[in-house]
Amino acid sequence: MRPLDETETSVVFEKLFKFVGNNLKNLIENPSHEGPDSTPGRYCFRLNKNKIYYCSESLVKRATNIARPNLVSLGTCIGKYTHGGNFHLTVQALNLLAANAKHKVWLKPQSEMSFLYGNHVLKSALGRITENIVAGDGVVVFNMADVPLGFGVAAKSTQDCRKLDPNGIVVLHQGDIGEYLRMEDEL
Amino acid sequence: MGKKQTQQKILLPPDLPPEIPDDEVEYSDDDIKFVKENRAFASLLSTLDTQSITKHVTRVADAKDDVLEKLYEQRMQKNALKKEKEETGLQVDRVDALPVKTLDGKIYFRTATKTAAVNGPSEEETGEDDNVVKSLFKLTKAEKRAKLKKIRKEGKKQDKVVAKEEVEEAPQAAALAEVEEDLKVEEAFESKKFRLAELGNALLTDPESNIKGLKDMVQLSKDNDRTIVKLGLLSLLAVFRDIIPGYRIRLPTEKELEMKVSKTIRKMRFYESTLLSAYKAYLQRLIALEKQPLFQLVAVRCICSLLESNPHFNYRETLLDATVRNISSSNDAIRQLCCSTIKSLFTNEGKHGGEATVEAVRLISYQVKDHNCQLHPDSIEVFLSLSFDEDLGKSEKTDRDQKYKNKKDKKRKHMEGSNQLSENDRKKSRQESISKTREEVEADYKAASFTLDATEKRQMQTQTLSAVFEMYFRILKHTMQSIVARPEANLEVFSAAVGVEPHPLLDPCLKGLAKFAHLIDLDFLGDLMKHLKVLASGGRNLGNTSEKFPKCLTVSERLQCCIVAFKVMRTNLDALNVDLQDFTVHLYNLLLEYRPGRDQGEVLAEALKIMLCDDRQHDMQKAAAFIKRLTTLSLCVGSADSMAALVTVKHLLLKNIKCRNLLENDTGGGSVSGTIPKYLPYSTDPILSGALASVLWELSLLSKHYHPAISTMATGLSSMSTEQNQVFLSKSSPQLAFKDMSIDQELSFEQSGSIKLNNKKRRSNDKATSDTIGSTTVTSSFDEDDLQKKFSSHFMVLHEIKENERLRSKLNKTAQSLQLYEQYKKQKKKRSKPSK
Repeated sequence: MRPLDETETSVVFEKLFKFVGNNLKNLIENPSHEGPDSTPGRYCFRLNKNKIYYCSESLVKRATNIARPNLVSLGTCIGKYTHGGNFHLTVQALNLLAANAKHKVWLKPQSEMSFLYGNHVLKSALGRITENIVAGDGVVVFNMADVPLGFGVAAKSTQDCRKLDPNGIVVLHQGDIGEYLRMEDEL
Repeated sequence: MGKKQTQQKILLPPDLPPEIPDDEVEYSDDDIKFVKENRAFASLLSTLDTQSITKHVTRVADAKDDVLEKLYEQRMQKNALKKEKEETGLQVDRVDALPVKTLDGKIYFRTATKTAAVNGPSEEETGEDDNVVKSLFKLTKAEKRAKLKKIRKEGKKQDKVVAKEEVEEAPQAAALAEVEEDLKVEEAFESKKFRLAELGNALLTDPESNIKGLKDMVQLSKDNDRTIVKLGLLSLLAVFRDIIPGYRIRLPTEKELEMKVSKTIRKMRFYESTLLSAYKAYLQRLIALEKQPLFQLVAVRCICSLLESNPHFNYRETLLDATVRNISSSNDAIRQLCCSTIKSLFTNEGKHGGEATVEAVRLISYQVKDHNCQLHPDSIEVFLSLSFDEDLGKSEKTDRDQKYKNKKDKKRKHMEGSNQLSENDRKKSRQESISKTREEVEADYKAASFTLDATEKRQMQTQTLSAVFEMYFRILKHTMQSIVARPEANLEVFSAAVGVEPHPLLDPCLKGLAKFAHLIDLDFLGDLMKHLKVLASGGRNLGNTSEKFPKCLTVSERLQCCIVAFKVMRTNLDALNVDLQDFTVHLYNLLLEYRPGRDQGEVLAEALKIMLCDDRQHDMQKAAAFIKRLTTLSLCVGSADSMAALVTVKHLLLKNIKCRNLLENDTGGGSVSGTIPKYLPYSTDPILSGALASVLWELSLLSKHYHPAISTMATGLSSMSTEQNQVFLSKSSPQLAFKDMSIDQELSFEQSGSIKLNNKKRRSNDKATSDTIGSTTVTSSFDEDDLQKKFSSHFMVLHEIKENERLRSKLNKTAQSLQLYEQYKKQKKKRSKPSK
């Protein structure tokens, strides 16, 4: 376990910024009420075996007691470095993203299932969409009851969505809560 | 020239009506009977009025030699001679008695005819009487003549008097001359007035033959006298409104002039050309006068009513130009005139076929551009009365489809034609010629019948619409620029600019956008939303610098921006449900800035209705945040506003069942509280405020509200969670609630006022009853005296204390100085002792 270096930090923050925008500040300044201290600590990012974790300071302090090869996981895993050296967000980051999401898409009930099997979001599946999404933005996908289902990247801007035909792709799939079942071993 | 005529006429005896020949006159048996029966009455009248009658008769005799008349005339001349011999002064007095008795011209006229009728079978007068009954026009003419006569007589009389005085008193000649001049001026004024009336009447009765009178009238309206000018303009207006034809006059070309035409056509051409030239001269005069402050109102009124009644006629452009120029005048009357004219242009498009609408809209948009968006809001509000066809956007599509189809058909036809071509060439050419002639006929028909083609109409409406939206966008951009430019400017410049640059046009512009939202093209929509977002944020996004400065847009304006955005989105749904999160965030923050006195409660209620009640879906967190903030707001605003807020809260609670956790009595929100464990009341984002972790304690305070409706509402809300099975049926909107409550408030204010009055009365009554000795006034005076005494004693005490302090300090000082002196003496003694 070690803190991120500069390039790693910028990569992670850029990725997160696509989803949460200016709310990134909230992610970092979020007070944590863990541990024995009466004053709330902060949350921080840690790298352990190619995975990035989001955890409170008190937890990090306690995790230092465990040897590096023995430490499997701490806090919330939000993403991992691939073999190619790219950073990918994983489904576990969903709760963090959903709370601070800037761009949202709501799915119709009949098309929830399709998305949870790992498919892209089509125009016909859109129940609602936030205004002024630009192509390339990170989008969090909800069902109509405001339960976060997953996240992805916008393929079309909101304006373009109006003219899109029903089978056009609106959001490219990146992660969904179905992965907890489908890829149980990898996570 | 009118002046000269009248002056000459004064010397001559006035003419009698020439158009009543004596032979024509017939008087009925009834008339004769009446005269015979009422001879006594008649004789009485005749003694009163011999002078005028003699005059009439002599004049008649001068004008016409009739055998029947001669006898009569001689007799009357004798009478006249007698009278003249008698006394001139008495004569004058007698004549003078008439107008004094009957001030109105009508009454004077009637008496004259009566006397004439009475005097025996005086034929022309009775004839005139009959004529009066016959036609209204003649009556007016006769009236006018009578008036003229009267005035001339008066003038003569006065002249006589003046002459007399001149003879008697020589030294006063100069003053008299002045008086005479004044009289002349008055006379001239009167004569001009009558000339105007005469000309106008003549034009109205028979415009074709009297068309030359128009020029005279225009000339008259260029007089030096202000009232004459005004009268001239107004009478010309009346004439033009009446005689302008229902078509546009096209002057004949030279070629046409050369051609030989029939008499009637020549007459017609002459009529039209004179009418048009007079109209042009009149308009030029109006435009010139419109720039002078004295005549502005009259000129603008003339211009407006001309435009309103004849938007189809020639020179419409000049009229429109002048109207639009005055549309944002600082003078209320002028502005309202112009605005109502433009509105009537918009609403009565059938009169001019929509062309004037396009022109007016364009001119107004130029006006806005030229004045840099600093105009009176009325000038933009006129656009609200524009009307567009609902299927303006759709029909174009169908048209395109049709064109496409036509092309296909043509192709098919062409194919078929090529097949048939070899078979029968001749037939085809004949068909072609037939279709050609048919087209020509149709084109002619279209030109003749004024009905507009559907495509033309649509084109015109599109032009209008694009002009309107261009202007709206210009206004939005201008306001935005002024906001953006602010933080860059210096502080002093900025503070100066706050007063100078308001946004008068923003409010009507937003209204118009909301009204025509369904017609906006989708391509514009993105830009529009961007502008609205910046405006709604009120320049907050520009960084912390703007916090130092007062917001340049008021809260209600920013609320209106949010409302417009929601309306635009709702009308342009197109099956895509867009979540306007940014605007809801703005609303959430504006709720904090809302002040009940300063901002319009109706706008807030409308915003709540549109943004919170009508929207179907909400985030749980967002809804909770709004519920919390609205209840907090309702604690510190008037009853009407808080009622609107509570109604909205009720809607939100009904829709979001999970939000009823707010009504539970434990903090933390339990499982639904989300990632934020604590309520942050000052958070700018409703989703991140963590409102679900709080408790709606405001409701228990509100249930003790002084207004019964609000307290019942609050208790109903707080009992919502326990009675979950109950179905809540209240669907009243916050707007309705606000209206009801504000009406209630006014009523209650009145009531409370009356109650206070009653209390006052009661108090005074109590005093009176308790104070059995002496009246209430005495008691009051006694009170005052008492007060004065007490006050004076109080002040005396204070004064004495001050005085005491002062004296004491003086005493101390003197004592000190004495001590010092003694010490000094002792030292001196000591020094003197050793010296000794």
